[in-house]
Amino acid sequence: MLRITARTRHALLAAAAALLLSGCATVGPGPSEASGLPSGAAAQDALLKAAEHRLVVDCLKGQGLSLTSRPRAPDDDRTLRAALFGAGPRELSVTLATGATVTAHTDGCLAGARNRLYGDQRRWFRAQVVVDNLRAEAQARVSADPTHRAALARWTRCATPPGGTPHSDRPGRPVRAERPNPAVAVRCSRESGLDEVRARLEATELVTVRALRRDELATYRQLRDRALRRAVELPATVPPQKGPTHS
Amino acid sequence: MKRFLVTTAAALFAATAGLALATSAGAAECPSGEFCVWQDSNFGGQRANWSGDDGWWESWISDTDSSWANHGISGPGIKDHVKVYESAWQGGSMTVCLAPGQEVGYNGAANDRGDSHIWSMGC
Repeated sequence: MLRITARTRHALLAAAAALLLSGCATVGPGPSEASGLPSGAAAQDALLKAAEHRLVVDCLKGQGLSLTSRPRAPDDDRTLRAALFGAGPRELSVTLATGATVTAHTDGCLAGARNRLYGDQRRWFRAQVVVDNLRAEAQARVSADPTHRAALARWTRCATPPGGTPHSDRPGRPVRAERPNPAVAVRCSRESGLDEVRARLEATELVTVRALRRDELATYRQLRDRALRRAVELPATVPPQKGPTHS
Repeated sequence: MKRFLVTTAAALFAATAGLALATSAGAAECPSGEFCVWQDSNFGGQRANWSGDDGWWESWISDTDSSWANHGISGPGIKDHVKVYESAWQGGSMTVCLAPGQEVGYNGAANDRGDSHIWSMGC
């Protein structure tokens, strides 16, 4: 009978966590190499970013605008921002488990480009925001863990010398125990065990968070794969789509 | 939230971190290419804005941040995402990561906690 010891379980968890810690954008294999698409996450990111940029530049050009002319007068920049990021009400909104409500516009050249690449900008927005903030969500859970709180208390005692005057490296700035100079912070993180506790708990919490957000991760992979295929098929010049870009 | 009185000192801070009065109506008043942080929710009150990284926000905005906007301009090879951290030098927890065009009008958990930020290729 196969026996899994506590040490083995720990090693398996650590291995899984190490994979997850390699970055929030690492969400599994993309399209097959047989499709002619780049196989590495970095190359895929670069392809998507270049395609989005081309779509945005062409969209702005259709309105007589450009990203390259800087600096701009305030009114010109306001015009560019409205064309690029959208204006009026923020139609897209996602509230994360951390409490942050992230918003964006459905109009504007950037939204139009994402809509064209990902096909469904509302689904993409939700998936992207959640996946982009998996680490933030995991770290928020770490902060609430009693083990982390205890390590943080040790760190604070270490960073606050006898007499209660914290170290500071910026004369004239308010000094606080939670912001000692970097050298003291590094030493106290090591001595208090805070770094080790934080890394261990974050690895565990990332596994948990990714399980909790598996639906968003699946949507993220699906729409990203679709966008990659569209990105390689983009013609050399992209005529802007007519009409609203709302999904 | 903490209110901030416009002072000469605040104007001096603007030399390293852009500072302007913001309006809360409509789209966030944040220059293109910049990451902006406001002392009040819904993009109100005093605003700091950066086109680059800052490992330790000036004292008038650190731990007084209540809303955030990434108006970075994307492009091939450009770091266009912004990660916000609760401690200096990108330490402690990351409170939020924003892609270009994304804004946060309020975040109960991250309110008045930001100390530093960094631009990155992704989150």
